[in-house]
Amino acid sequence: MSETSYAVLGMFDSPDALMQAIPKVRATNLGTVEAYTPYPIHGIEEALGLRRSPLGGMVLVMGILGAITAFGFEYWISAIDYPIITGGKAANSWEAFIPIMFEVTVLFATFTAGLGMLLLLNKLPLFGHPVLSSKSITGITRDRYALALEAESDAFDSAAAARALQEAGAVEVEVLPAPERSPFLTSDFILRTLGGIFAACVVSGLAMFFGTKWFPLLPPMRHIEDQPRLNAQKASAFFKDGHGMQLPVPGTVARGYLPTATGTQEQAASLVNPLPRTKEVFTLGHKVYSNRCEVCHGALANGVGSLTAAYGGKPANLQAQQFRDYPDGEIYWAIVNGKNAMPSHAPYLTDQERWAVVHYVRALQRAQNAKDEDLKVVAP
Amino acid sequence: MSQNKNNSTTMIWGAVALGALGVLGTYATAGLERFWANWVLWFVLMFTLGLGSLFIVALEHLVSAKWSVPVRRIPERIATLLLPAIPVGLFALCALPVLYPGSRPEAAHHPILAGKAFWLSLPFFSVRTLIALGLCTLGLAVLVGGSLKQDITKDPRFNLRARKFAPAFMAIFALVITLVAFDWISGLTPEWYSDIFGVYVFAGAFLSGLAATTLSLLYLQDRGRLEGVRGDHLYNLGGFLFAFTVFWSYIGFAQYMLMWYANLPDEVIYYKVRLAGSWRAITISLAVLHFILPFFALVTRDSKKDPKRLRRVAYLMLGAHVLDMYWLIFPVLGGQPHFSWPELSFALFFLGGIVLWIRGAMQKGEDMPIGDPFLREGLEFRL
Ligand code: HEC
Repeated sequence: MSETSYAVLGMFDSPDALMQAIPKVRATNLGTVEAYTPYPIHGIEEALGLRRSPLGGMVLVMGILGAITAFGFEYWISAIDYPIITGGKAANSWEAFIPIMFEVTVLFATFTAGLGMLLLLNKLPLFGHPVLSSKSITGITRDRYALALEAESDAFDSAAAARALQEAGAVEVEVLPAPERSPFLTSDFILRTLGGIFAACVVSGLAMFFGTKWFPLLPPMRHIEDQPRLNAQKASAFFKDGHGMQLPVPGTVARGYLPTATGTQEQAASLVNPLPRTKEVFTLGHKVYSNRCEVCHGALANGVGSLTAAYGGKPANLQAQQFRDYPDGEIYWAIVNGKNAMPSHAPYLTDQERWAVVHYVRALQRAQNAKDEDLKVVAP
Repeated sequence: MSQNKNNSTTMIWGAVALGALGVLGTYATAGLERFWANWVLWFVLMFTLGLGSLFIVALEHLVSAKWSVPVRRIPERIATLLLPAIPVGLFALCALPVLYPGSRPEAAHHPILAGKAFWLSLPFFSVRTLIALGLCTLGLAVLVGGSLKQDITKDPRFNLRARKFAPAFMAIFALVITLVAFDWISGLTPEWYSDIFGVYVFAGAFLSGLAATTLSLLYLQDRGRLEGVRGDHLYNLGGFLFAFTVFWSYIGFAQYMLMWYANLPDEVIYYKVRLAGSWRAITISLAVLHFILPFFALVTRDSKKDPKRLRRVAYLMLGAHVLDMYWLIFPVLGGQPHFSWPELSFALFFLGGIVLWIRGAMQKGEDMPIGDPFLREGLEFRL
């Protein structure tokens, strides 16, 4: 036998003889001590000094990792990368993540338990354990109890091992040859497997790509389109007129927009300035006025602006009694629609800015026609 | 030793007496609603503890488990708690017009309650409670009574009979625990309903039964009794405890998540109440105490047979079960959680009573079912 033998088997007639032999054989320190028995014997794992399997810890760590992975992934998808509000729930609702976290935890944990046990700890795949090919195997599966001294290195001394087992009371001793190397753990096999997986990926990817390209009538999944719902631009039997899309109810106002002055100036008179008279509003109104109105109406709104001479028009003197009596809505209307030589300002000013400038014009008018009481308000 | 025990027994009797004073005081001064809420809470607790233990016994017969035969006498003794639960439950029927909206006269004009009027009405409610308690007594008589008789007769036919009765009892058990959960607990909010509610209460009941069994087992072992019961038996109890903390949270969360998703006003109101103000803190601590803590305390293999660890987890589990039931019942009083002397007196009174009852039961008869032919096999059980 040129190669190192795998193990030496010693056979015992009773479990008690086996149990008594274990400490003696372990004391020789010749190799790993293993027992093979037809049925489980209580207390044998302590006698053999088997260490606690690390599988539980591995499963726990991987399970927790699974939970964190799922949570992180879901959080990233639904709250960071592509936040869509579904069912009125916040994009980062943890409640919705829990079921998937649970599933992924179980997935990671079971895979770790199954694969870790088979591949890592039991060192599978292995076709035929050496002990299975021993001539004592029929006895081991029936009524005999075997103790094996297994080689830990090339320096394994099978003769000494056989002697130790005999001294410990083995009735029969057998030397087992080393098993053939696993055909799966060769670099050739691993490379071929990886190559095969790669080729399969390329082939199926290309097949998918051209399949959907050449046969576009077979979309992979279209259940989402076949729902009993109203589709834009499509007929529908739900409404009486047969249209899927309906006109908004008269008087509908888009969210965030105030009704604008669409009627005549007289109709606009009833509009109420929605903005409060705060410092911010006046600052905004001042800014808009000096940017947009001052050139024509003048800094004091008296109709004498820097542009007036060059342009020959006659901008209204907003200090005139007529305009001081104007309701807010009519000024607003003039800004939105323009009047004669004054162009519409609707394209340039937002609704907020228009109403702010109305406030500001009012302030200018009051400043130029101040009464004594006004001084009291201004005084510190 | 016995001097010691006499001392502690006297102390517990003192606590019960003190609690009784507080209970009377609650009735006289703290308002009827508060009194009945406490009473119903302790009825439910006694009932779930007793029925949960009876479930353990029935489970053993159902699957013909051998490992649990040596410890079976413990849940059998705890299950007798169902007997004092009967008068407590019958008296609790007086709570109906006070606490249960479905039994008040206004219910007739309530658009939802009017439709359930017959089911919620006082007579039918009482009949159901009577049926539930009666069925429990039947289970107790067959399973526990038969087992006690076997101590003397040593008749192995009891095992066959129990094995045949167990599947029927499981159906009875499901019916009884669902009825009690729906009537006594979710009946407090009759507009609200949840299909899984019975299962949720079952999970808590089974856990409390397991925890009490574990505690009593350790109590007896401390006194040198139950010889032959080993870490292997403890491990199985610990494993059950561990598994069912997960089961409880699974059911609890599933119920919460579906309601949260659908967001129907008549369903979410249940959680809205329990997530407002101090109730929120209780809800969160329930998740911690009833799931996270015991889960991690029992996750390793050794901890499931470590008596010290198990004792702590069992105490924790019982406390968490009390908190769970409090969390289900007490929001009916409205506003913030009520907790002061009335709750403490009820706890003293009932807890003292329960401990006295169980301890008394532990002193009577054999510690193991000595007539059971599988006792030896159970004692030889190894993992
Ligand atoms: C291009 C020069 C010009 C600018 C800029 C201009 N206006 Fe005028 N505005 C006029 C002229 C000209 C009239 C007189 C129109 C008429 O009645 O013939 C007028 C009239 C008015 C009137 C009176 C409308 C009426 O009912 O008779 C108001 C109010 C007014 N402007 C406000 C403003 C405000 C506010 C701004 C700045 C947002 C502004 N204008 C910007 C030229 C201008």
